[in-house]
Amino acid sequence: MIDFGFIHMLMAFVGVVVGIVFGALPGMTATMAIAVFLPLTYAYDLHVSLFLLLGLYVGGISGGLIPAILVNIPGTPSSICTGFDGYPMAKRGEATRALRIGITASLFGGLFSLLLLFLFTPPLARVALSFSSVEKFLIILFALSIIAALSKGNMVTGVFAGFLGVFFSLIGQFADNNRMRMVPDFLSVDLRNGFQLLPVLIGLFALVQILQEAEGGMRDDAVGADLSREVKGFRFSDFKGQVVNLFRSAFIGTFVGILPGVGGSAASLLSYSQAKNFSRRPEQYGTGCVDGLIASEAANNGLTGGALIPLLSLGIPGDSTTAVLVGAFMLQGVQVGPLFITNNLDLWHVILSALLLCNFLMFFVMFYPIKYIASVIKLPKYRIFPVIMLLCVVGAYSSRNGNMFDVWTMLFFGVLGYVFVKIKLPVVPFLIGFILGKDLEKYFVDSIKGVGGSLSVFFTRPMGWVIWGLIVASIAWSVYDSRRTARRAAAGNGGAQA
Amino acid sequence: MFRVTYRPSTSHWLFPPIILGILALLLAVMIVQRAIECRRTGRPFINREKMRVFEPGCDKLKLFGSVALFVLYIYAMEAVGFLTASIAAVFLYSVLFFGVERLKEIPAAIASGRPWSNGAFRSVCVSLLLSVLFSTSVWYLFARVFKITLP
Repeated sequence: MIDFGFIHMLMAFVGVVVGIVFGALPGMTATMAIAVFLPLTYAYDLHVSLFLLLGLYVGGISGGLIPAILVNIPGTPSSICTGFDGYPMAKRGEATRALRIGITASLFGGLFSLLLLFLFTPPLARVALSFSSVEKFLIILFALSIIAALSKGNMVTGVFAGFLGVFFSLIGQFADNNRMRMVPDFLSVDLRNGFQLLPVLIGLFALVQILQEAEGGMRDDAVGADLSREVKGFRFSDFKGQVVNLFRSAFIGTFVGILPGVGGSAASLLSYSQAKNFSRRPEQYGTGCVDGLIASEAANNGLTGGALIPLLSLGIPGDSTTAVLVGAFMLQGVQVGPLFITNNLDLWHVILSALLLCNFLMFFVMFYPIKYIASVIKLPKYRIFPVIMLLCVVGAYSSRNGNMFDVWTMLFFGVLGYVFVKIKLPVVPFLIGFILGKDLEKYFVDSIKGVGGSLSVFFTRPMGWVIWGLIVASIAWSVYDSRRTARRAAAGNGGAQA
Repeated sequence: MFRVTYRPSTSHWLFPPIILGILALLLAVMIVQRAIECRRTGRPFINREKMRVFEPGCDKLKLFGSVALFVLYIYAMEAVGFLTASIAAVFLYSVLFFGVERLKEIPAAIASGRPWSNGAFRSVCVSLLLSVLFSTSVWYLFARVFKITLP
């Protein structure tokens, strides 16, 4: 039995609405929304906070379809393919229809992924319960190798970013012997526990975005389709013949969500390309075809439940947004991982109920008043970003109940993230490495200290062999995929030159 | 070869060198990959002409202004407190992001006797109003309602 009252409903509603606004404004993401609003959760217990945070997550992912359809600029990376067909529909006077088709597909994707979350997380967590520190170490290594497998075209760079994140996480005191490392004397007090997750997150995901927007001149490009002109309205019969597309896309989205560090854009692209491959009318994709719109939107909302599966069963965040949720759990003293469901059965039920409620709230908040909600894309950036900056400072400062060093940390990682963007070093693998780094070290040391430092311990357990097999398979796939991509690119260039 | 020395007193220095080693190895692989690609395509390893930090059309004033203003904001919070510093910072950020160059229009607009007809004047006034409104709301919500410590 879980507590549910007015405050839970209100928090979910606020979360969904604010999330939609963040998702709808290009340059602002669900990750940023959660990072910025995390301090609000200090005032409430984790149950109430989860309704707000999951509302922001669902709303933030869903809101991205508004600018994608109306101005052909994806509000979030996960809506990257939504505009391919949504925008042509809007241009021919079907903006409201396209938006409502996208919203309905989003609801389906969200509910489908919730079902898979409910079905697969407990058994996966039960398997993980039998893991020793050896398997736990290898699982984190596997997560880092998946980053390599899916960093298309820049496999080594993705792994480098992941291990750089691990390196940054090691700064500070080592819990086993309480000795400091890699910290200058004058920072020994502030960096005793290393860099705090929340300022790092806000720096990497909010401040970097603000700096990039500032570099681009804070230009507003939101001049798009006219919602008052309606040539063809929405009907639920628009989904006739889309059942396979809906299930396939939602499944792809959920699967991509499970893979750490892959991100929503991959879910949208993969689902769109699969829908096109299986379609009997692929030539219509990109011209305002309902199938493509449904594929993209069902997939990106499929992410929401999918990304929570590895988080709640293994303690590994599936995407940048769930990485921020780790921060929320840590701030409330809750450890995510194999024991999460066993030790926090009530929280597990809260997560499922909150996701269910937030998906339906998202649908009702967006479906009927979509014409009014769509106007948020007209908000000028120069008015929004100063307020976001203010919320970032509050978030960073209050992460340790008032520490100005955390605000400096946020600025440092904001500038560092901006440099990463410039040198094309991916930020998400860095963050996942940063989150998992301390555990990676802990499990490594725990594994070897009982066997006199012998590294053969990592090759002696049968479950370890299975995980090694997965690591080798993911690396082999990444090498194969990298070469295939390079060959295709070379063939494309050759064709273009010819 | 397949063994590391584990001593509790120095165990804090066991893992960081391993990670540094992996980073160095990955860096070497990236350099070799780049060298092979450059040899294959005939491009120089370091192309100074194409090396540029900022894209054409980059708004350096807004970019560096944002960072500088942020540093000032941190010092201001410690000097004059959260609310006052935030009102000033949000206002200055709004003006910076709107376009400092457009402030030149304001004296002429005031001199004309009809300042409200000028977009820049209106924007600055609205920015001032919103900075007070937002900063006070955030301060009230976090510091008073939720009892969260602010500078």
